[in-house]
Amino acid sequence: MRAIITGITGQDGSYLTELLLGKGYEVHGIVRRSSTMQRPRLDHQVHDQSIYGKKLFLHYSDLTDTTSLRRIIQRVEPTEFYHLAGQSHVGLSFDIPESTCELTAMGTLRILEILRDLSPTPKFLHASSREIFGTPTQSPQDESTPVNPNSPYGAAKAFANQLVKIYRESHGLFFCNAICFNHESPRRAENFVTRKISLAAAKIKLGLQNELLLGNIDTHRDWGFAAEFVEAMWRILQQPSPKDFILATGQSHSVQDFIQFAFQHVGLNWKDYYRLDPRFHRPTEPQNLLGNASLAERELGWKHQTSLQQLAALMVDHDLALLKNL
Amino acid sequence: MDKSALITGITGQDGSYLAELLLQKGYTVHGLVRRSSSFSTGRIDHLYRDIHENPKLLLHYGDLTDGQALTNLVLNLQPDEIYNLGAQSHVRVSFDQPVYTLMTDGVGALNVLEAARILNNSKPVRVYQASSSEMYGDVLETPQKETTPFNPQSPYACAKVYAFFQTINYRRSYGLFACNGILFNHESPRRGETFVTRKITRAATRIKLGLQKKLFLGNLDAKRDWGFAKDYVEAMWLMLQHQQADDFVIATGHTYSIREFLDLVFSKLDLNWNDYVEIDPRYFRPAEVELLLGDPTKAKQLLGWSPKTSLQELAEIMVDHDLELAKRELHNQSFQS
Repeated sequence: MRAIITGITGQDGSYLTELLLGKGYEVHGIVRRSSTMQRPRLDHQVHDQSIYGKKLFLHYSDLTDTTSLRRIIQRVEPTEFYHLAGQSHVGLSFDIPESTCELTAMGTLRILEILRDLSPTPKFLHASSREIFGTPTQSPQDESTPVNPNSPYGAAKAFANQLVKIYRESHGLFFCNAICFNHESPRRAENFVTRKISLAAAKIKLGLQNELLLGNIDTHRDWGFAAEFVEAMWRILQQPSPKDFILATGQSHSVQDFIQFAFQHVGLNWKDYYRLDPRFHRPTEPQNLLGNASLAERELGWKHQTSLQQLAALMVDHDLALLKNL
Repeated sequence: MDKSALITGITGQDGSYLAELLLQKGYTVHGLVRRSSSFSTGRIDHLYRDIHENPKLLLHYGDLTDGQALTNLVLNLQPDEIYNLGAQSHVRVSFDQPVYTLMTDGVGALNVLEAARILNNSKPVRVYQASSSEMYGDVLETPQKETTPFNPQSPYACAKVYAFFQTINYRRSYGLFACNGILFNHESPRRGETFVTRKITRAATRIKLGLQKKLFLGNLDAKRDWGFAKDYVEAMWLMLQHQQADDFVIATGHTYSIREFLDLVFSKLDLNWNDYVEIDPRYFRPAEVELLLGDPTKAKQLLGWSPKTSLQELAEIMVDHDLELAKRELHNQSFQS
């Protein structure tokens, strides 16, 4: 079994790498060249000489670079392809809509076109996003909810999501979308709200910071744990037939709830530290985001395990250890 | 009146030294960064704490291949100077990713020039284009100077030659104050760890502390003209302060082989590199540039610039820095186990 992962240096990519290596896969990751070698989420595997160069391989390419992508894919001949890469920050997609579209929408299309020409065609999983629903009129959302994005990121993901479905149906390929609701972890990037909060709670606890600046904290999200989500992605490709699945917890919490859980965990009252900063407001906020993952539960036997309170504790503990280690 | 500058590639070696230099001179510095889920600002973190603490350094997300976002940014910021240092700068990687390299290093430079050309209609702006000694490739004369014809030997060099001539084209056609700095190799403790000098100083110091046993390298006979990046960013700034836009070779005028650099580094650590270095043909380039030697006379005469740091001093600076890094690594290992 041989898998290619795009976005392997990201949160989900690193968890998926661990999962697949544990199952005996040979894992090939695609990485962008950068003068700063920042791959902290993969460092423990890359520096392990029994893994790197033997079971795990990294290749330089870019979602905008068709020829080098094709060369790598043809050489590796993967049995499964996990496409997790993209410009994944929603707020930023308003500032850089063109490169978001280029990477997230066109990047996916390029890969679909390359895979389509392979024989046999590998199974393909696209990490889609609940952002494709934008502000949905029905709640909770399931696989039949109409697509109605309200950010450049959501629009790009909607394009990619629909193309995966079109390639599946018109070419009869095993191509699937995992429509993921928010999923967090200690490996979340530091400019996403949950990680920003867990880091702030840890820093304030250690006396390294005085306040927590955030935008609107009344917004609600359906937040799960990333390590569990990648397990579901793998299971999607082990099914007898290809299908799209919603991955979610089915529970809605506000940003304020998460702040409370995180600060409670270190014995602090969040109200003493939180301050509203309008700079972090998004031009539009998605509403009514709540996923219905009952299809995944029925067909994949998958259900989320970690509660948001447990997740917040997990993240704060990690950040405390990180800061003490510096 | 305070000046402002936009630096692409601000998270890189040169970008970080240039940002320091310009901040010291009182500039407001804007940096272009690619969005990535892992942060890439390690080299400027000491400058960039918080916008409330240092309002003179601001980072903006963008990409050289996204011309529209770049133009919007340039028109909004209205910088006095633009330094285009952003690139896929690794020669060996450019053989694997030729298209991406041309998009970023060639078309990316064109996007910068286009944005500057539009801004220049309403407000004067000066542009620095980071050209490279790699453009001389299979060299047609030695030493290489501003009049030496180019003979590129890699996709990276071809892309840089394209950007070089576009820079001249925008100067001639639109009167844009646009300069090429043809920089020969320039190293520092902030060099990326896949580049040969840094690879050597990292490995030598890790070997010294028992963290590593072997160092794998390609062609040890390749000769380069190596300077110190901190000296070289000064030349970039001087070019944009000159009375007229021009192109300059920036080099030391001395050349050393990789073998000689190994001698400098390992002897400083009381080690013999022959005991540790192994040749790995994977690191050979499909086409190698054998001898690069720059003649910086024009920069000396017109800009009053000359290099301050010898290769021996540079090796010492890098070894000292990487020895500290290796010690920290050793400390962290004992902490974890």
